[in-house]
Amino acid sequence: MYKVGRFILALAGLLAGVFAGAQDRLIFTPQWTPQAQFAGYYVAQELGFYRDAGLNVEIVHPSASQSALSRMFKNESQATTLQLCQALEVVGSDVPLVNILQTSMNNSMVIVSRRGVDPLTQKGARVGCWFAGFGQLAFCLSDKEHLDYQWVPSTTTVNLFVKGAIDAALAMSYNEYYQMVQSGMELDESCVYRFCDHEYNVQEDGVYMRLDYYQAHREEARKFADASRRGWEWAAEHPDETLDIVMKYVQENHIITNRSMQKLMLAEVLRLQVNRETGEREFRLRPDMVQKASDLLIENGILLTPVTYEQLIAR
Amino acid sequence: MKRIFDKVIFLIRRSLAARLGIWIALFAALIFIAALGFLFAESRQAVRQEAISHATQTLETTVLRVTSILDEVVVATDNTDWLIPRHLDSADSMFVYCRRILENNPDLNGCSISFEPYYFRDKGRWFSAYSLNQNGVIQTTQEGNDEYEYFYMDFYLQAKLLGEPCWTEPYNDFNPKEFYSPDVIASYCKPIRDEEDNYIGTISVDLSLSWLSETISAVKPYPNSYSIMIGEGGTFFVHPDTTKLFYQTIFTETLEHPDPARTELGHAMQRGEEGMKQLMVNGESCYVFYKPLSTTGWSVAIVCPERDIFSGFNRLRRSVLAIVLVGLLLMLLVFRRIVGRELVPLQQLAGQAKTIASGDFETRLPDDGRIDEIGQLSQSFSEMQSSLVNYVEELKTTTAQKASFENELKVASDIQMGMVPRIFPAFPKRKDIDLYASMTPAKEVGGDLYDFFVQQEKLYFCVGDVSGKGIPASLFMAVTRNMFRIIAQQGHTPAEVAKQINDFITQDNEQNMFVTMFIGRIDLQTGRLDFCNCGHNPPLLDGKFFPLKYTNQPLGLWERDEFSGESIDDVRGRQILVYTDGLNEAENRAMEILGNDRLLELMAGAENLSAEAVIRKLQKAVEKHRDGASPNDDLTLLCVRLLHPQE
Repeated sequence: MYKVGRFILALAGLLAGVFAGAQDRLIFTPQWTPQAQFAGYYVAQELGFYRDAGLNVEIVHPSASQSALSRMFKNESQATTLQLCQALEVVGSDVPLVNILQTSMNNSMVIVSRRGVDPLTQKGARVGCWFAGFGQLAFCLSDKEHLDYQWVPSTTTVNLFVKGAIDAALAMSYNEYYQMVQSGMELDESCVYRFCDHEYNVQEDGVYMRLDYYQAHREEARKFADASRRGWEWAAEHPDETLDIVMKYVQENHIITNRSMQKLMLAEVLRLQVNRETGEREFRLRPDMVQKASDLLIENGILLTPVTYEQLIAR
Repeated sequence: MKRIFDKVIFLIRRSLAARLGIWIALFAALIFIAALGFLFAESRQAVRQEAISHATQTLETTVLRVTSILDEVVVATDNTDWLIPRHLDSADSMFVYCRRILENNPDLNGCSISFEPYYFRDKGRWFSAYSLNQNGVIQTTQEGNDEYEYFYMDFYLQAKLLGEPCWTEPYNDFNPKEFYSPDVIASYCKPIRDEEDNYIGTISVDLSLSWLSETISAVKPYPNSYSIMIGEGGTFFVHPDTTKLFYQTIFTETLEHPDPARTELGHAMQRGEEGMKQLMVNGESCYVFYKPLSTTGWSVAIVCPERDIFSGFNRLRRSVLAIVLVGLLLMLLVFRRIVGRELVPLQQLAGQAKTIASGDFETRLPDDGRIDEIGQLSQSFSEMQSSLVNYVEELKTTTAQKASFENELKVASDIQMGMVPRIFPAFPKRKDIDLYASMTPAKEVGGDLYDFFVQQEKLYFCVGDVSGKGIPASLFMAVTRNMFRIIAQQGHTPAEVAKQINDFITQDNEQNMFVTMFIGRIDLQTGRLDFCNCGHNPPLLDGKFFPLKYTNQPLGLWERDEFSGESIDDVRGRQILVYTDGLNEAENRAMEILGNDRLLELMAGAENLSAEAVIRKLQKAVEKHRDGASPNDDLTLLCVRLLHPQE
C-alpha cells in the first residue's frame, strides 16, 4: 500500500511538474484566513519582493470548503504554511513535504482555564479545541500528564469559553488568547499554560511545498523563500506600515477582526520568530525541535514512524 | 497696556462715584454668583435626574419590546420541543415540526432540529431538519454535510454542553451546499433528550437580528444619543458605527488605550447588571444607561452625550448669565450717575474749601436746603468756617499779645543779665585774680544767679539756683542776688551771709520758693577761703569735688539759727569751679545726663587753663552732650583762681 501511494504521488508530482513548467504563476496559500500571522507574505507581495525575484506569486487564502492542505494536494497551490506538527502528520501519512522557510521559532499554543486555576490541575475538564486541527501538542500533553481532558472541537471556541460551556480552551497566544482578552476576560497568568515554557516548545509556522513540486522548481522555491524572509524582516522593522498592509487584506476579505487585534497579533507573531536562546530571528528549522515533535507525536500515536529533520529540509 | 490700566486705576481712585458703583456691582455680583450657583447646581441635578428617569424608561420600554419577541421565540420552542422525543421513530416528522414553528410564528427566521452523528442510521452521519422563512416563503431542507459540520457549531454545542436552553451570540450562518439565512441571526437553543434523558440533539430557533437592531437603533431619547447592544463576549451587535459591528467589542479600544471606566461598564453589562455610568466616549462626556436583555446574556445601552442632556439647561444658563452681566454693567453705570449727582454739593464744598484754604474766609457756602448727611456736612462746614473766622481773629490778638509779652520778656532778660557782672576781665587792675563766669537761662529768663565783688582785699562770690524756672524764679533770683550783695558788703562771713539771706527770704515766702547757693570769700592776702554751701552742688577744687563737711539747707525753706561755714587755708594758685546743675545734669535727646564722672573727666588736666578757657570748654562740652536738644535747665558757671604770688 505504501509503495502504491508513493507511485501515485510520484506520478502526480511528475504531472504537476509538467504543468508547473507551463505555468509561471506560484500560488501561495496561508493556512488560515487573512490576518497578521501572514504579514511577511503580504509585505513581500505588496512591496514587490516576489516580483523583484522574478516570481509571479498569487496569495489565495483557504475557504470553508477547501483548506490549505486540500488546495496543495489538489495542486491548486504550490506553497502553504503549516505548523511543524501538522507537517509531520502529513509527511507521516506518506505525503512528502519540504520546508522551504521556517518563520516560527517558538510555540504559541496556550491552554486558558476559565476557572482561574492552573489548567494542569483540571483533570477531566472539558477543553475546547479547533475543529480544523492544530491541537496535536495539547493531545500529547493530555495523555502524557494523564489529564484526560474531554476535547470539544468547535468552530468558535472563544464563544463557548465566554458562555461557560467549556472549562478551558486551547488558544494561540497571538489570536484566540487576545480574542478572550478582547471579550473582557481578565486572564491571570496562573490560569494560562504556555506550551513554549515547558518541554513542548515546538516550532510552528513554516512554508512547505510538495516534494515533487519542489524538486522541479528548486530555484523558484529558493526565490520565494528568500523574498518571503525579506518580507518578514521588513515587517519586523516597519510594524506600523506592515499593519496597514495586513488591514488591507483583512478588509478585502471581510474578516471579523480589527486593527487593535491585528496589531497585538503582529507583535506576538514577530516575538515568536525570535530564537529565545540567541535572540535572533533565524528563519531555520531546528533539528532538535523536529526530533522533539516527532517523538511526542509517536508517543501519542499520531505518528506511526518517526519523521526526521532531513526528510523535511530542502536539499 | 500698563498705561491704560494705570489710567483706569487713577480714574477709579479719583472718582468716589466710580468706586461706589464698582463696589456695589461687585457685591451684587457676589450675591448673584452665590444665588445662581445654587440655582444652577440644583437645576442641573434636577435635569440629571429627569434625564436618568427619561432614559431609563426609554430603555425599559425598548427592552420590553425586544423581550416580547425573544419570549415569542422561547414560547414557540417550548411549544414544540416536547413533541420531538415522542416521534423519534420518524426522522421526517422533524421537517414538519420545524416548518410548523415558522408557520405559526412569522417573526421567526429559521428553525433547525439537529441530531447527534448517526442518530438516524438511515440518514447517515448528519441529520438536521431545517426551515427558513425568507420573505414569507418557508423552505425546508436537511442540513449537515462535510462542509457544514453542525456538531461543532455554537448553536448545537452550547445547548449540548450547558445542558439547558440558551441563546447564542449573533452570527452569520453559512452552508455552502444548502440554503441558509442571509441575515445575521441569533439562535435560541434547547437540548433534546430521549426517554432515558440522554442528549440526542438540539432544537434551535433563529431570530433575524435586523428587526432587533432596527428596534434598538431607533431608540434616541436625545438628538445625538444612540443605542448599542453587546453580546456576552462584549461584541457590538448594534452600534451606529457599522465599522464596529461584529468587528469590535466594547473592550477593543481599551486594548491599546486602557480605560478603566469603559472596562467597568463592559463588565457590568456582561454581568447582566442594570444601571447608569458616566464616562468619556470619543473624548466626550456621556451618560450610559444599560440593561440586560432577558436571559440572552446580551445587554442594551443608550449612550447620551452630556451636552445633549444639558443642552437646554446650558442654553438657559448662558442666557441668565448674559442677562446678569448686562444688568450688572447697567447697575454700575446707573449707580455711578446717581452717586455722581448726589455728590455734586460735595464737589462744590470741596472747591469752596480750597478757596477758604487759600485765605478767603468770606466765601459764602451754598445753602440748598438739604437736610441729609450732605446738607448736615454743608451746615457743619459753614459753622466751621464761622468758627475759623473767629479763631483767626483771636489768633491775631493772641499773636500780638505774645509778641508784646516776648518783647517784655526780652527786656526782663536784659535786666536780669544786667544784674550779674558780665564784664571780663572782672578786675582788670588786679593781676592776682583770674575770674570768669557765665549764665545761660534755659528760657528767656532764668532762676540761676552768680555774683562777685572785691571788698577790703576780700573776694566775695556766689552761685545760686532758684527752685522752679521762668519769671517767678527770675524775680526770686533778683531778690536773692541783691540780698547777697547788700549783706556780703557788710563784711560778714559766708555762713553769716547765708543766715541773713535765709532770714530775709523766709519771711513772707508764700510761694515756698528756695534757692541753693554756694557763697565763698577769699582773703586775697592770705589765700584763705571761707565758704558756706547751702544745698548747692559741691564745687570743684583743682578738678576734684570740695571735701565738704556740711551741706546746709537751701535758703528760703525755713528759718535757721546758724549756718555752718568751712574754710580752706590757702587756695592761691588753685582753681575753683562753682556751677549749677545745668552742667552735670544737662540732658541729651535720650534724656541722659552729662553726669559727675564726665564732669571730672572734663576738668582733669584743666587746672592750668584760664578761668575763661575752663568756662568755654565746659559750655562746649554741654553743647556737644545735648546734641541739639533744648536746654533742660539754666546753666551757670563760675571759675576763679587766685594767682600765686610767684606766678
